[in-house]
Amino acid sequence: MIGGGHPSPAARCPHSTMVPSVYRHLARTVAAIVVLAAGVTACSRAPAATGASIPRTADGKPNLQGIWQVRNRASYDLEGHVASRGMLAGTTVVQGGAIPYQPWAAEKRIANAASRQTADPVAGCHLPGVPRIMYMDFPFQIFQTPEHIAMTFEWSLVHRRIAMNGAPADGIDFWMGDSRGRWDGDTLVVDVTHHNDKTWFDMAGNFHSEALQLVERYTLMDADTINYEVTVTDPKVFTRPWTMAMRFHRVTEEPRLLEYQCHSEDEEASGAFERDPRTWYPGPSVAVTLPPQWKDEAPATPWKAPAPRGTIKRLPDGKPDLQGFFLSDAGGANYGLGKHERDFLTPEGRGVIVDPPDGLLPLQEWAKAETVARNTPERGYDDPTAHCFVPGVPRSMYVPGYMQILQPPGYVVTLHERMAWRIVPLDGRAHLPDGMRLWQGDSTGRWEGDTLVIETTNLNGKAWLNEVGEIVSHAERVVERLTPLDADTIQYEATVRDPLVYTRPWTIAFPIKRQKDEMLEVACLEGNDDLQHLKEIRDQARAKKRRGR
Amino acid sequence: MRAHWLAGIVFVTAVAAAPSVTAHHSFSAEFDANKPLKLKGKLTEVKWVNPHSWIYIEVAGKDGKPEKWAWETAGINNLYRQGWKKTDLVLGTVLVIDGFQARSGARVANASTITLENGKRLFAGSPAPSGGQK
Repeated sequence: MIGGGHPSPAARCPHSTMVPSVYRHLARTVAAIVVLAAGVTACSRAPAATGASIPRTADGKPNLQGIWQVRNRASYDLEGHVASRGMLAGTTVVQGGAIPYQPWAAEKRIANAASRQTADPVAGCHLPGVPRIMYMDFPFQIFQTPEHIAMTFEWSLVHRRIAMNGAPADGIDFWMGDSRGRWDGDTLVVDVTHHNDKTWFDMAGNFHSEALQLVERYTLMDADTINYEVTVTDPKVFTRPWTMAMRFHRVTEEPRLLEYQCHSEDEEASGAFERDPRTWYPGPSVAVTLPPQWKDEAPATPWKAPAPRGTIKRLPDGKPDLQGFFLSDAGGANYGLGKHERDFLTPEGRGVIVDPPDGLLPLQEWAKAETVARNTPERGYDDPTAHCFVPGVPRSMYVPGYMQILQPPGYVVTLHERMAWRIVPLDGRAHLPDGMRLWQGDSTGRWEGDTLVIETTNLNGKAWLNEVGEIVSHAERVVERLTPLDADTIQYEATVRDPLVYTRPWTIAFPIKRQKDEMLEVACLEGNDDLQHLKEIRDQARAKKRRGR
Repeated sequence: MRAHWLAGIVFVTAVAAAPSVTAHHSFSAEFDANKPLKLKGKLTEVKWVNPHSWIYIEVAGKDGKPEKWAWETAGINNLYRQGWKKTDLVLGTVLVIDGFQARSGARVANASTITLENGKRLFAGSPAPSGGQK
């Protein structure tokens, strides 16, 4: 995990209870208890917003939308601690100073801390769980609608979905828990349940069991500050419920969330995920010459909005309401965009390429050869989604799995079951500078009639289009069109321009269909035994080639 | 060694019509169409995880020694949506699983169907709705 460089003090309240862990045993003394009690009193006051100065949504609720981040050291150790190598010092955020462990659990916590370099789930880029994701030193963005509050995190493109209705899926647990929210006056209260027992609270080995239950309280103190309190209940690990408190501060320096995909950065650094010099962005200092084969011709038939075939739901502002849980009926696009037969365990596909009219990708010769080379067992390892990396654009829209579409004020946001997000601002802003390249690119959106048009640039060229290795590069730009056909169907089209790989633009189209049940969580990396198997197959093939020389 | 209950490895000769399975990686890359496999063995471990769940059974190897085989199924979300429950699989019971072995030659395979002691058959992959892709 990357440490923060924010020397600013954390919320004042937790500071009053600072007890460095080296002195924690002193808490047993009467003198220390007096100091702690003073802290508890200071913190037990319910936070109150300063009144009319807080922003509110159209329905009168406190408006939490925006980019937020902690300025504390809770992600290193919730309890007060002095600095050590790789650990920045910080005062406790726990009310009362110390976490009330049962004796066995206090010992386990010490053992966890001793082995944290390898035992910390986040050291392996596994999902941090809740509440840890909230105070890792990365920005996150809150999106708010009456039915759902979404949180998207820069760290590994993780998201949280807080439903203001419904009930958790029974008999299934999640790395990030199940979050159900409600408003208590001006405070958003979220019950987080259905946790697994694999996440920690911090780098210092503070932990819980699967019996963990959280109650989070978010209170907007002023336009730029959220007071965040979490009451932790876990009768298997603690002697009583305990509470942590801190503040989130509005981030104004960055207009959008960028990306820190923990496991792709680790794997690129270690060589486990290898650079493809022909498709990856070479950096702003390298001049890219576009090949002469490219002709940016218009499609054979000009684009026309598909006609609706039923009632379209609309938002109060009259724009189509595309919100809900969806699955793409993408006709096997994740196994080949063109029409293809079933090949062993690779499903068939009906073909989703609508332009060019022949239904074939207009690949340049080198790219045709590269696509064939990628579709071999020894290259199965190289598909970024086999590593559980985010799928890029347009693959995010047809990789198998549920997605949720949200339309908070000013944005369209998609959350994907396999832990990825796309944020599409509708405010007409410019794209990021060309040198800023991202896995999911930089998207901007606008409405053309009832069609949502999304333009995506700044892609890093690391994604594949699908499992069979169909290819795109960093020169890729995508225009997507989402048009509601009826209350439960959205027609999706994407036109891809990639002058390094293709001879002309091409377009895919398929319907996206509403689902009755909610999106769940796919913790991909955390249970990804396949990657090792695919690596063995690749390594065997490489060894065979070496022997053959 | 409690090996008396173990059935031997049976390599089936016909390639079964494998169900459509969706993946986060290429199944065709990981598994071998020329190595269809049907094994009977005692359930020793279940990992109910995403992106794919894993079922471990112990079968009698050629020399009579128990071998641990890992079988890949759909992820827990897909199994959940198909109506699977964790209680469907009981440790210590005998399962018959068919599918395809990994190309690497390791004791790893992709499961097509799982037959329980009571004869109930569980489809191990993802459902294949109309349109060819879930």
